[in-house]
Amino acid sequence: MTALSIVREIDPSARVSPEARIGPSCVVGPHVTIGPHTELVRRVVVSGHTTIGSGNVIGEGCVLGARPQDLKYKGTLTLLVIGHGNRFGREVTVHVGTETGGCVTRIGDRNRLADGAHIAHDCYVDNGCRLGRMVQLAGHIRVHDGAVIEEMTGVQHFVTIGRHARVGPRTPVRRDVPPYTSFYSENYDWDAPPAVRGVHEAGIAAAGLAADEEKELRRALRELFDDEFALQTKIEQLVNMGVEGEVAQLCQFIQRSLRGVYGRHRELYRGKVPPEAYPHLPPELRPAAGRNVP
Amino acid sequence: MPRISPYAVVEKTARLAEDVQVGAFCYIGPEVQIGAGCVIESGATITGRTVLGEGNHVFPLAVIGAASPDADEPGRCVLGEANAIREHVTIYSAAGRETAIGTDNLLMIASVVGAGARIADHGIFANATHVDAGAVVEDYVRTSSFVMIAPGATVGAYTMVVGYTGVDRYAPPFSMVQGYPMRVRGVNTENLKRCGFGQDDIRAIKAAFRELFNGTAEFAGEKVLSRMLSDDNVHIRRLAEAVRRGETGRRSK
Repeated sequence: MTALSIVREIDPSARVSPEARIGPSCVVGPHVTIGPHTELVRRVVVSGHTTIGSGNVIGEGCVLGARPQDLKYKGTLTLLVIGHGNRFGREVTVHVGTETGGCVTRIGDRNRLADGAHIAHDCYVDNGCRLGRMVQLAGHIRVHDGAVIEEMTGVQHFVTIGRHARVGPRTPVRRDVPPYTSFYSENYDWDAPPAVRGVHEAGIAAAGLAADEEKELRRALRELFDDEFALQTKIEQLVNMGVEGEVAQLCQFIQRSLRGVYGRHRELYRGKVPPEAYPHLPPELRPAAGRNVP
Repeated sequence: MPRISPYAVVEKTARLAEDVQVGAFCYIGPEVQIGAGCVIESGATITGRTVLGEGNHVFPLAVIGAASPDADEPGRCVLGEANAIREHVTIYSAAGRETAIGTDNLLMIASVVGAGARIADHGIFANATHVDAGAVVEDYVRTSSFVMIAPGATVGAYTMVVGYTGVDRYAPPFSMVQGYPMRVRGVNTENLKRCGFGQDDIRAIKAAFRELFNGTAEFAGEKVLSRMLSDDNVHIRRLAEAVRRGETGRRSK
């Protein structure tokens, strides 16, 4: 067997690790960094100021680091930072950040993104998340550790998905999804308003909580989402009783969502640099300290 | 000379303007015309008898002019000026049915435009919008994700189609439509403000909507319609005409 020459276009100024595998028909732009053992399978286009860590598998036809679809974006230098050990399916698209949203789109480690998933500008997907087929994340979204978003779900901008939460398939998500909950429309009918409809058992299992902590968390979830219209009063009662650990975090999350606009806490970061962006911003892009505290 | 990547395949008879850029692994078919200032990014495919006007931006892996699955061969596909065709968008064509897209449209990721669809100007179509074969979309329309515009359906000007909606008949102009079956949910005031409508016009349109789409019954009486058809306000006349057209055309689509 003779080794076939592989046709691909890698810009000479791109920093591609010699241990990375770039498949045929891939295009790698000039400001791209690709870490070792990352595999670009075929027809992958990586452009913009994109950093991809090690051990990722990027499927066929993915487009990473393209220009955001936000009409306010005028071509400034913005970043896309992808961590380690992620697996992207086919035709996944991830955009760089925008100047008005903090300049950074970030994907953490060990995430699974299925075919056709889209992550827009200024999104922060933490670690161990699972996004189903054709999941569309709009801009400025934060997805916390271990969250599961099932197929063909669209998430509106500035939404936060809590830790180990689950969003059902074909659900229009317009407000924050609290941690450890299962959020979907009644009978999975996307025309019915979606709501928290139970506990995400697999999420609680994956979190590996201590037995008594798990019991407390389940009780809090049951109490809070029994009647969502009374959420405000119930959460105040619960916080006044004194809570700790996971329950405290759950209460904090819900209180922040209630303080936000239309149940979306991150609306408060509109036009500001969110705190998640700071570690990734080079000093010259960092705004003056104190300007952006919501 | 057009700037064509050495890895792109451009057929000899394709006509490219002077400053067109073509990225790596693109395919430009033999009957394609591309206007000045167009940027075709890596991996895009343009086939069929496709004409691109000036200043269009085609993003990676988009496909324009491919033969529709129900057609034997590709046909004409005409794009105006300054459209942005994002990643993984597919625009179909079919012999005998011209697909026409106007000026300054933004077709976001994974959108599909069927053969024979007509899209006017200044539209914004969010991710995975399906404009099916023969559908008509007027000016300044906005759609959310996963919207389906059924074959032959029409979306009126300045209308916002909410996410996951299936537009299966006439969506009147200036409106916000949602659900499947589609319902008129109100006036798209935000878009009207952005498009420079005055307060008085918006108030008049809102009042007309209250009369026309009150409750679940979508057909306002003939009396109301004929009064609106001779209204002083041009927008009200346009709305009434559209509603009448929609009513008569509803079953025939």
